[in-house]
Amino acid sequence: MVPTATISTPRRAAPRRVTAEPPFVRWLLIGVALLFLGLFLVVPLAAVFAEAFAKGIGFYFHSFNDANTLAAIKLTFIAAGIAVPLNCVFGVAAAWAIAKFDFRGKTVLITLIDLPFSVSPVVSGMIYVLLFGAQGLVGPWFIEHNIQIIFAVPGIVLATIFVTFPFVARELIPLMQAQGRTEEEAAHVLGASGWQTFWRVTMPNIKWGLIYGVILCNARAMGEFGAVSVVSGHIRGQTNTIPLHVEILYNEYNFVGAFAVASLLTFLAIVTLVLKTWVERKNTALRGAEN
Amino acid sequence: MSVEVRNVCKKFGQFTALDNVNLKIESGELVALLGPSGSGKTTLLRIIAGLEFPDPGDAQVLYYGEDVTMIPASQRKAGFAFQHYALFRHLNVFENIAFGLRVRPRATRPGEAEIRARVEKLLKLIQLEPLAKRFPSQLSGGQRQRVSLARALAVEPKVLLLDEPFGALDAKVRKELRRWLRKLHEEIHITTLFVTHDQEEALEVADRVAILRVGRIEQIGTPEEIYDNPASPFVYDFLGNVNLFSGRMRDGAVVIGETKIAMPETAGESDSDAIAFVRPHDIRVTREPGGPATLAARVIRSNAAGPLANLELVRLDTGGQFTVQLSKEQFQQLQLKAGEPVFVELRNVKVFSDDYSI
Repeated sequence: MVPTATISTPRRAAPRRVTAEPPFVRWLLIGVALLFLGLFLVVPLAAVFAEAFAKGIGFYFHSFNDANTLAAIKLTFIAAGIAVPLNCVFGVAAAWAIAKFDFRGKTVLITLIDLPFSVSPVVSGMIYVLLFGAQGLVGPWFIEHNIQIIFAVPGIVLATIFVTFPFVARELIPLMQAQGRTEEEAAHVLGASGWQTFWRVTMPNIKWGLIYGVILCNARAMGEFGAVSVVSGHIRGQTNTIPLHVEILYNEYNFVGAFAVASLLTFLAIVTLVLKTWVERKNTALRGAEN
Repeated sequence: MSVEVRNVCKKFGQFTALDNVNLKIESGELVALLGPSGSGKTTLLRIIAGLEFPDPGDAQVLYYGEDVTMIPASQRKAGFAFQHYALFRHLNVFENIAFGLRVRPRATRPGEAEIRARVEKLLKLIQLEPLAKRFPSQLSGGQRQRVSLARALAVEPKVLLLDEPFGALDAKVRKELRRWLRKLHEEIHITTLFVTHDQEEALEVADRVAILRVGRIEQIGTPEEIYDNPASPFVYDFLGNVNLFSGRMRDGAVVIGETKIAMPETAGESDSDAIAFVRPHDIRVTREPGGPATLAARVIRSNAAGPLANLELVRLDTGGQFTVQLSKEQFQQLQLKAGEPVFVELRNVKVFSDDYSI
């Protein structure tokens, strides 16, 4: 007999992973999570639509057939339409500067970008009142020149820009830092100008991160309540955005109207989530392909 | 005609990366810039490319007599290959190579047909024609570095600068690519400077090797020159394994234990302690004392895996350890076992006058 070296292993030992828990623990944890999600997310979401359609589809659409509501929707689109592109440009510029160059005060800049996240939106609104209000720092000068900022559209746009500033920059900084500068350097040595390098190398590399940031930025710009509330003045048909309009309708016991308008924001949230998931998948697929 | 740097200094904060470096690469020459990490070799390469600028002073970077010190990288027409390739991840192999041609101003940009012809020629040169449509993420490391070389060559650079081009590859691919680079250089004869920390690579590929140490060029010469006549203990040590034998310098000879090795060039120097440098393959081992083999030692360990056998020995007089490299046949003839006494002869002994410790 030739002794063969066999390592005896218990055959068909239950293929249990080290981290496996007994089934009842797993089901308990999953159950708790589902219950929590249902109670705090799905039920309120359903309630919004239930309430909006409480008096039928006709009444739902009738709620939008109101000058003030349409004005609020229009103003929200204007505010987001200005704030998102501007923050897109600021965000790319800031991220580009931070990720690709070394300069004094870099950490200060990174901290400042985070400021709108760390400050309460009410305070963000107050800053603009203190600056541009009738008793504010530079407010009197603007009023003298007949430029209304507080309790007018410019104030709302400014507050929206402030609150949504970090979204694009925050998304791009880690991405651009991870990608490093060598591709830009390579383009530069190959004869590309700064502008060509930006459009042909940097932009394609950050495309999905940028879209992701823009989606989040837009969702927040349209949904912002606190900061806008402080600077708006709540003038019906003039300085009310969708969230502010919802509050007014609700306070007037016009529940169907309030929830119908609110359903717009809810719808926006759902669209945002779907887009976000799609972009995230695109993004990770792209990053995964590099390794 | 040459690419040249003069009086280049570069500091990063308190750290001196380059300390008054002068280097001349003759037209069509392949020069290796060899040094340990932190010796400033990559910084020097980046300064030549225009990705870094020398500290203000009388520093100059010259491309064939033209002063390009103040010219930005995009105008210099250098070719640069990065250690981690830096291929454009969103472009396929073809477009990566074509990039430098496509970004040219309209007046000097070649037509689509010419771009295609030139890229295809380069694809043939790097033997990656079938992979033109692949993206960088779908290539192996060696293929990526070849694409990066082709991309650099596409703009017909005045000088090719390679920053540890094979540093991120495994040993086998590295050797292949090294030979390929040498062959490529013989075909196209482009002035090339390449940075490496691998002395074997530098000695094998380059026409001349410049050895950099803490921001200064320690020695420059052909591979044979610097290997056979290292200018300093640092160079000697950096170019291969080395044994140190402490002894004394006396009457134009170095005395190591019972061994006396004549060093005519040191005649006239006063008595002093000396350190002799000997390569492991320059030591002959015998079982019996005789002739020049006079230094008594004992075997500690032997290892015969690979084409050469390595012996670890210890000197009986001072207890200093050293290693010896033997051919397989010599090793088998000697039949040495651990603990056995032997005698060794030191050949090609080198003594440096300045103090040096490894």
